[in-house]
Amino acid sequence: MKGQLTMPRIFLLTLLLIGSLMLPACSKPESAAPTASKLQVVTSLFPLYDFVRQIGGDQVEVTLLLPPGVEAHSFDPKPDDILRVNRAGLFIFTHKAMEVWAATIAQSVDPARVTIVDASVGTQLRQSSGHADEHGAHGHTANAAAIDPHLWLDFANAQVMVENIAQAMARKDPAQRDLYLRNAAAYLARLDALDAAYRTALALCKQRTLLQGGHFALGYLTARYDLKYHAAAAVNPEAEPTAATMAALVQQMRRNNLHYLFSEELVSPKLAETIAKEAGGSVLLLSAAHNVSKTDFERGITFVEIMERNLKNLQIGLECR
Amino acid sequence: MPFFEILGYGFIQRALIAGTLIGLLCALLGIFLVLRRFSLIGDGLAHFTFGSVALVLLCGVSATWVTYAAIPLVLIGALGILKLTSSARIHGDTAIGIVSALGIALGVILASLSGGYNVDLFSYLFGNILIISRNDVLLTAALAIVVVAVVALRGRAFFAVAFDEDLARTSGINTGRANIILVLLTALTVVLAMKLVGIMLVSALLILPPVAALQLGRGFLPTLLLAAACGILSVLSGILASFALNLPTGGTIIVASFLLFVVAALVGRWRRG
Repeated sequence: MKGQLTMPRIFLLTLLLIGSLMLPACSKPESAAPTASKLQVVTSLFPLYDFVRQIGGDQVEVTLLLPPGVEAHSFDPKPDDILRVNRAGLFIFTHKAMEVWAATIAQSVDPARVTIVDASVGTQLRQSSGHADEHGAHGHTANAAAIDPHLWLDFANAQVMVENIAQAMARKDPAQRDLYLRNAAAYLARLDALDAAYRTALALCKQRTLLQGGHFALGYLTARYDLKYHAAAAVNPEAEPTAATMAALVQQMRRNNLHYLFSEELVSPKLAETIAKEAGGSVLLLSAAHNVSKTDFERGITFVEIMERNLKNLQIGLECR
Repeated sequence: MPFFEILGYGFIQRALIAGTLIGLLCALLGIFLVLRRFSLIGDGLAHFTFGSVALVLLCGVSATWVTYAAIPLVLIGALGILKLTSSARIHGDTAIGIVSALGIALGVILASLSGGYNVDLFSYLFGNILIISRNDVLLTAALAIVVVAVVALRGRAFFAVAFDEDLARTSGINTGRANIILVLLTALTVVLAMKLVGIMLVSALLILPPVAALQLGRGFLPTLLLAAACGILSVLSGILASFALNLPTGGTIIVASFLLFVVAALVGRWRRG
């Protein structure tokens, strides 16, 4: 009796396991033969992926390691990912504080074949005050947590990253050097225009305080455009909000007559909704652009598009003219 | 922030109500689980939920509902643990370990197969006691009513089975049915509570308050009532202490229940001389 119940179940699970192992095996052959002539670039996070795309156009083959919707800090690379990095000409990552796994992969490859690019070289890094509220109650002492890793959200930093990447690509693939540098220059101008649009739009807002019902991810953006910024939780995604922080956000919304609380895309908006509802407001989405949803990714969304979408929501949320 | 002012916030009130109910639920079930050496079933089923959720996601269920859609699979996982212990002569801890590891492994494989998601799955899987909605409170209350009713009706049978299954069987108790009801209710509680308050808290509440009660209780009913009281007291004191000290609420509840256990152990020792 018991045996009859157990065996089909074990059989079913085994079948599932075998099935799931075979599926990727079937789809392998296509990816196995990379076009040898093109420069192969592997990037860790979405902004880098898009920057390479903008600089290289169809002259490079760029891969994004972090799958859509997966949290950047906790990603665990597959064997295929490691293999891809080892076959690539360039491997670009943001900063060791953001993707610890990328730094680990970087150490394991043959430096004669694969050039490792730390895109953050020369950028202005912000110390993450580390904490949700300014009087930060509990200290995280890990040194990686001392830097706010969302550095591309300061567009001047994004430009430095683009230049770093363009230089690395030009060195690795001298034949296309002119194209890369020309595209990079055009893209830098595009980022300048984006910066100007932000500056103009955010200069005329009724509210100067951005409240976020989530993690402290937008420090670079708010610092650049002179906005006050409070978030419910610290910059690292493991941190949990305390009741006092949540209550303080509710009070701030009420006192300053704020109608909107911002929440990060991809993450469950429940925390932001709880706070916003308590204060009689509603939730608007912003993206820190480190990753995108599967749908957006397949649609080919760009960093500039994400930031334009953010600006629209910022204008609503901060009541800009 | 003044202590009484913070009690005026809706999210605090919901945390207190839902927390009390979950503390009660976990303590009532936990006492049988601890006696039956199923203490880690909370962790095990949570891991299995991860695998189940990955499977359900592949079928295209949206992130908001995915935990509920995974419930049937988790119930099967719970029955699997039970079957492993009874048919394959495996102890409870080993059976939980097997199902837990399999759940994680399937989850990781399936997640990688899906080629990415539209959301950060973990933020939907695990909750925080401070962000519970009104509907969540009602759902918890409904489950609490069911569990209290079942324990009131079948508690003595659960107890007999947990203490000595063979003896219970010879004295005419349908041990198989008692076991099945217990693990199914546990599975429901774990999935719901994990979505609402996070897995760390569920697992702790299934173990610490019952163990504290076992240090002091004598006999079935006193131990059961003590466990319920310890569960509720842990949650309430933990929530209030977390406000007073501005600490993360989930972790503070666990520390509070641990302190309660230490006190109970000391008192128990002193009583025994």
